[in-house]
Amino acid sequence: MLAEALVGDVLQKARVGGADFAELYVERWRRRALRVLSGEVKEATSGLEYGAGLRLFYGTEVVYAYTNDLSPESLLELTDTLVRLKGSAGQVDERGRGGLDFRKATAQGLHAPEIPFTARDKRYRLERIREAEAGARVGPQIKQVQSDLMEWEQEVLVATSEGTWAEDRRVRTRLYVTAIAQDESGMQTGVVGPGLSVGLELFDRYPPAEVGRKAGLQALTNLRAKPAPAGTMPVVIGSGFGGVIFHEALGHLLETTSVAKKASVLSDKLGEKVASEVVTYIDDGTTPHGWGSQEFDDEGQATERTVLIENGVLKSYMVDRLGSLLTGYRPTGSGRRQDYTFAPTSRMRNTFIAPGSTPKEKLFEGIEYGLYAADMGGGQVRPGSGEYNFAVKEGYIIRHGRLEEPVRGAMLVGKGPESIQRIVAVSDDLEMGPGMCGSLSGSLPVEVGQPHLLISEIVVGGQA
Amino acid sequence: MTFEEARDYLLQKARALGIEAEVLATYSRELTIQAHGGRVEEITQATQGGVGVRVVVAGKTGYAYTEERTPEALDWVLQEAHENALLQSETGGFLPSGGALGQHDLLGEGLSAPLEQKRQTALALEAGLRADPRVKQVQMTRYAERETQATLGSTQGVAGAFRNGYALLLTSAVMAEGQSLKQGYEFDLSKEFHALEPGRTAQAFLQNTGRLLGARPLKTGRYRAYLEPKAFGQLLGMMGWFLLSAKNVLEGKSLLADKLGQRVASEIFTLVDDPTLPDGLASRPFDAEGTAARRTVFIENGVLRTFAHNSETARRMGVENTGHASRSYKGVLGVAPSNLFVQPGQGVRLEEGIIVTDLMGLHAGANPISGEFSLQALGLRVEGGEVAYPVENFTVAGNFLTLLAHITALGTKLEWNPMMGIVGSPMVEVAELSFAGA
Repeated sequence: MLAEALVGDVLQKARVGGADFAELYVERWRRRALRVLSGEVKEATSGLEYGAGLRLFYGTEVVYAYTNDLSPESLLELTDTLVRLKGSAGQVDERGRGGLDFRKATAQGLHAPEIPFTARDKRYRLERIREAEAGARVGPQIKQVQSDLMEWEQEVLVATSEGTWAEDRRVRTRLYVTAIAQDESGMQTGVVGPGLSVGLELFDRYPPAEVGRKAGLQALTNLRAKPAPAGTMPVVIGSGFGGVIFHEALGHLLETTSVAKKASVLSDKLGEKVASEVVTYIDDGTTPHGWGSQEFDDEGQATERTVLIENGVLKSYMVDRLGSLLTGYRPTGSGRRQDYTFAPTSRMRNTFIAPGSTPKEKLFEGIEYGLYAADMGGGQVRPGSGEYNFAVKEGYIIRHGRLEEPVRGAMLVGKGPESIQRIVAVSDDLEMGPGMCGSLSGSLPVEVGQPHLLISEIVVGGQA
Repeated sequence: MTFEEARDYLLQKARALGIEAEVLATYSRELTIQAHGGRVEEITQATQGGVGVRVVVAGKTGYAYTEERTPEALDWVLQEAHENALLQSETGGFLPSGGALGQHDLLGEGLSAPLEQKRQTALALEAGLRADPRVKQVQMTRYAERETQATLGSTQGVAGAFRNGYALLLTSAVMAEGQSLKQGYEFDLSKEFHALEPGRTAQAFLQNTGRLLGARPLKTGRYRAYLEPKAFGQLLGMMGWFLLSAKNVLEGKSLLADKLGQRVASEIFTLVDDPTLPDGLASRPFDAEGTAARRTVFIENGVLRTFAHNSETARRMGVENTGHASRSYKGVLGVAPSNLFVQPGQGVRLEEGIIVTDLMGLHAGANPISGEFSLQALGLRVEGGEVAYPVENFTVAGNFLTLLAHITALGTKLEWNPMMGIVGSPMVEVAELSFAGA
């Protein structure tokens, strides 16, 4: 995307200005979005995003600049500005002399699309989306169906003063269907949104009619559901996107972004037992075609499969370059950013609780009164206190070990380190689900996952 | 190519092709200084901008945008927008006609100060927090400033530009007392750098987060609720605005759809949007389509007076446009508030109940379509007219419209919150809400 000589000049100039380390990140995105409401295209938009971010390290002090003027004059001036911001202008450093010898690494296409976006026209997309719409109309109460199709193509180059030169190409597709059901009792929604690092074969892996049907059924379930009860009770959390609870309650506490500052309640706990022994927690950036997969992270390092917790014992954090400098932990290919407007930080990729051995049905046995959180919305955590919350999108009451009436509007809250000690059983039916995770370095595609599991007690926020 | 050149290039090409086009170009500059451990750990300096077009071809609307300002990229934008338009079956699209709107500077020299002073401001805020031994960790302390220049032009004659911006002081830290840990945040926001005072922000943090230490569980039940401005402002910015958007009304997503002229809130509740406030952080001379800014009363003494409109929703509903068109260069036409606020009232007298100081998890726990919310909250137990002790590990749940109907008192002081748009609110007392805890 940029000439090697120019990249070399920028990095050298930064080194001459006294930086210990310089990194140039360049990207170009093509994004397309289609919003279809009740069969009609409401909005169709296409975009081209293009920019560069330059990050300099002076010890562990960081200066960052970004721009979307990528002319040689602009990039060299940007470098000057950064050096001036640090107040080290005019210094000539011996380390900056001599040429840079890049070790070039290019993506192998591990997550490359089978059906590229160019292979089908826009009408084709519209037809497939209309199948989702038709699928969602599972009853007369379904009043509106909205489908959003997102197509992202990102080309990335990361080059550093240490000779890293990594080029990656990332293609992602997501279909997001919202069904709105309404009767005299009110309005409720059902949402299903599969996404993968694939092209238009997403429609083959997740037939749109089936995606729509699930959204429609969820909306109907919520329409007849009663408000969730309030109080502390045992909760069985469903597989797939259910994993969002541990993304919030555990994952964020294991990123060096908070660990390095001792701002996580799980700082300095490597080798210690932090969870119940039925818990093994893994963050994998290499899952083929995973929504959160990529061959290189946004610091140019190859991604990997990182075992974070094994049988309850903390084995590793998620470590980016700055986190590694601050803590001494080995980098894990976890440096990620939304786009060039953010400096990278340590982030999750595809994170899941590994399958256990308890059959799913056994989880419900012996529960006198509890909640089955079959599908989940998003959540949030404050790493410093470990307090988290997340919303149940589809829930049922468990009575005497049996699933009974549906309930809506439940919010689960607690403190992460306590909740992971209370996981008493994990089933064997691991599934993954896509989501967008927002944090310091922006909003990123991640997968969360887990098998069905049982938490002995958790606060359920509903109607008192 | 400059942004103005890009705009002119696109309009000229569009005219030549016989396409109606509206071009929005935004350019922004940003500076962020992050302090940690008594030193500046990160500085970010940035310039960013892009050009977005909305085209109308035979009544069909399409969009495209680019951050690359080369003739090839701009040509691609027009072609994509054209193709996107042809996908629409609806043919009622149009671009409003207009005239010269002028160049407006709403920021002036507000952000002018030496870099060193800005660094010292960030460092002073962190030092102010660390001076209190109960502060266990300062996670983030940041000074940030941003200025934005927006330029609008269309083949229908609209032409105008304005500049705005703000300076922000923000911190997030953990306080501890015995076994009790609380993470909180505090911010101050102004169009004048010199109006920020790190000492004041540090004191506000220590006060607001320190009062939550030693929290006890809350017994599940229904309580009178005193929502602080930060808490109610977030609910209003998300749920309230969604319901008022005429775009959502037309798409069958708003519970207020058939409630114009009816009582939808307590009679002491008046909700206003005013883009003309001189110090308003979201003030604007005109909206994203070039409609001149003016004050709008959405809810007056509990009665719903109007929805928020852009030209398209106003025409479709056959009413007056309120000038709430919104669009970023990457986005599509929507409706958005400017400075949205609840008219302060006669004051709140504490009796029995819960003061809700903050709400968390709004993106997942508040559903604006159903109006229902169930949210993690922080707060204080009120007994016998006084704050008794802090409470934790609980949620507050209800329906937003029911909440509005049960407002029993409003505080006298308006506080602005930038969490969900720029929203102003006094303290809001609600007769009863459902709390889930121990």
